[in-house]
Amino acid sequence: MTAVIELAKLTKTYGKSRGIIDVDLQVNQGEVFGFLGPNGAGKTTTIRTMLDLIRPTRGTAMVFGIESSADPVSIHKRIGYVPGEFALYDRLTGGQTLEYFANLRGGVDKAYQASLIERFDLDTKKRFKQYSKGNKQKVGVIIALQHKPELLILDEPTSGLDPLVQQTFFMTLRETVQAGSTVFLSSHILSEVEKSCDRVAIIRDGRIVKLDTVDGLRDLAHHQVELRFAGAVPADAFINLPGVSELVAADHVMRMRVAGPITPVVRAAAQFELLDFVSREPSLEETFLAQYGNAAAAEAGTVSDGR
Amino acid sequence: MAASTQTLAKPFSRIYGFGSIYGKTIRDSRFSFLIAVGIFAGLAMVMGTAIGSVFKTPADRVAVDKLVSAMPAAMVNLFGNATLMGAKLGTLGGYMTWKYGAMFFLGTAAWSILALTGTLAGEAAKGSLDFVGSTPYGKRRIALEKLGAHLTLLWITQVLLALAITASSNTFGNAALGDQIPLAGAFAFAILVGCFAMFFGGLAFALAPLLGKGGAAGVSAIVMMLLWAASGLSIGGPLVTLSPFHWTAEMIPLVGLYAWPGVILTGVLGVVLLVVGVELFVRRDMGVTMGLSLPGLPQDLLGVRGPISRAIGDQLPRAIAWGLGIALWSALLASLVGSFTTQLTGEQNLTQIFSQIFKGYDFSNAGGWMQLYAELFYIFVGLAAATFVSKWASDETDGRLEAVISGTVTRARWVVAGGIAALVSVVIMTVLFALGIVLGAASGGSGAGDAVLGSASLGLFAAAMVGVGFAVGCLWRTSLAAEVTAVVVIATYLIGMFGPALNWPNWVTQLALTNHVGKPMIGQWDMTGVVASLVIAVGGIALGAWGASRRDIER
Repeated sequence: MTAVIELAKLTKTYGKSRGIIDVDLQVNQGEVFGFLGPNGAGKTTTIRTMLDLIRPTRGTAMVFGIESSADPVSIHKRIGYVPGEFALYDRLTGGQTLEYFANLRGGVDKAYQASLIERFDLDTKKRFKQYSKGNKQKVGVIIALQHKPELLILDEPTSGLDPLVQQTFFMTLRETVQAGSTVFLSSHILSEVEKSCDRVAIIRDGRIVKLDTVDGLRDLAHHQVELRFAGAVPADAFINLPGVSELVAADHVMRMRVAGPITPVVRAAAQFELLDFVSREPSLEETFLAQYGNAAAAEAGTVSDGR
Repeated sequence: MAASTQTLAKPFSRIYGFGSIYGKTIRDSRFSFLIAVGIFAGLAMVMGTAIGSVFKTPADRVAVDKLVSAMPAAMVNLFGNATLMGAKLGTLGGYMTWKYGAMFFLGTAAWSILALTGTLAGEAAKGSLDFVGSTPYGKRRIALEKLGAHLTLLWITQVLLALAITASSNTFGNAALGDQIPLAGAFAFAILVGCFAMFFGGLAFALAPLLGKGGAAGVSAIVMMLLWAASGLSIGGPLVTLSPFHWTAEMIPLVGLYAWPGVILTGVLGVVLLVVGVELFVRRDMGVTMGLSLPGLPQDLLGVRGPISRAIGDQLPRAIAWGLGIALWSALLASLVGSFTTQLTGEQNLTQIFSQIFKGYDFSNAGGWMQLYAELFYIFVGLAAATFVSKWASDETDGRLEAVISGTVTRARWVVAGGIAALVSVVIMTVLFALGIVLGAASGGSGAGDAVLGSASLGLFAAAMVGVGFAVGCLWRTSLAAEVTAVVVIATYLIGMFGPALNWPNWVTQLALTNHVGKPMIGQWDMTGVVASLVIAVGGIALGAWGASRRDIER
């Protein structure tokens, strides 16, 4: 398998501030690679280093076999990029903005550009300043896609997009991959990575703490369950159930963390007079904290690689 | 895929438009270019017509020479090397160099500073440069295209300036009095101006990757003003030797005096600084700066208690910055009065000349001198007012307003709070200016005269401009409020300066507010201007409060 992106001991620091530390990962051709992490974990720093927008303190970032700081132009010719936070030119219309970036790239298929505009339902006559947050994001996405790049680097690309447009976006992404492109998708939303990626790296405090297939990541998923009963219920009825941990009983309320199938808990609860049953999928942040804790990040040298 | 279905930038769009980074930068700069051409070439044209009508006879020209030669040496050369010009000061080129030369040098350089810090560092801070940086252009090429666009417009402006000077002096000047300026002289002047712009613009461009847009622009502007003052005021010391104004002091092409080595040195160093700027941009992380920020305000001054205190907290840093800047200027001028008074004592002839030209002025204290420079002070405080308006308007243009008025603060209250804060800023600036006069005069061994109280007239003018900005912002749109205010300030200045000289209709000259304030620095107040200023200030804010309640909030 040909590696499109290879990061080796990639480290970036800003004076005394942490950026990323010893990031190692490889993204193969035709793969959709998820890059997950909470805010400030180092996702954007990693991406900007790969694109030579910033230079690594040490380590290397190879894209298409080219070291990013050695010949960034050759890399940029073959990529499409949506920055995590961006602004464009307030006084230009969406159409003028797309035209400008198409001209800078050259050779953009106008029919494909038009199809993207139609598909994302973008009014290109409005000035960028007048767009809603979601429409601004659409402009960024179309800029990245319109020249049919070999590698798409997307930093939280669905930010601000409504669910319908997100659906359109992921459909377009699938088509792009089917046409042979590779995708590097940075996100902090677990569900969108789960449904669109082949493999996932999780970054926390600047270090990769997990690198696995999406199936492997699913093992992380769990539910926070809260059960409210009419009377007192023995904790023993739940504590030994498969997947149950962090059980806390207070008055007639029982809270627990359930990994894997929730059926055993439901069956056990049904034996008592149950007043309320709340099951919540925790945020990624909560999942990370529960799974790794602070100490794990410091020991992140032991990365489990699911390739 | 057929080539015809693919984007192909039209050749012209690579020069102007969306066909290239260069073309887009030229397009983005079109308004600033037109303003620069309008101001500098326009000023050259108007100067030609004005000097012919104001100083018509040889006797008038001699009076100008005597006036200047009577000034203390430290002040004579601030705006151009009058000493070296000698009798030629009375020609159109001489007078233009002496009175307005600094405006060309400093104004054009300020344009370059703003343009060259805004283009890369400004885009990096905004976030759009990441998109451009990921296109198939190296950082060097991006920097060179953006730089090339500004240099193109800078030098086109200089060509137009040279043509305007020649056309104006040959059309309106008096050949017998030596007014006509040959094309070579005009071009030499334009080259000099362009080299200054490249030098200070280059300094800003080199600092921008390190300090960011604001830091680089601020440091470069301060350095420029210091080097200008150090050279013009003949302060001496090592600072002067670093000043391009000093290196080029003998280059006065509008009167036929040429000294190219200093110009070449300035130009070459300008190019070196520009190259350094390009290389630093290439080598450094994009958008990552060392950061240069003023110390934060104490919690109490930050203003988090309510809309008024928040608005004041927002305005305070720039009010203090403007105040200190103008106070430095007033202190400098006031400190020189003592030596000038000594020089005048016993020179009956000079005293007579002064009393003829400046009736009612008392040059034995700071007031006379402050009034002499009042027109420049009005511009300065007027532009400060425009920035206060800009800060207030940014609540809406930056998208904060929706959050502010979605609580209990009404639109009218937001406008009034902003208005009060802007007026408080005007007061702070004015008080600092007056303080500068007192301290300067005391250090120079003279009195402040009526200038301290007269400073209030600057505050009144600035307050009126705040009123104009608030009315425009709320009745029309906040995104244009500061710009319109600045245009009103400049129009006021131009009407005040050229209206009487060019015999413009009375109703036109009456439009300038500064024509109604009297001469407050020497104790001559015109209450019409005082009342008008207050009415415009309070009325503008009130009108704004009314207007803001009746229009949509911009996004």
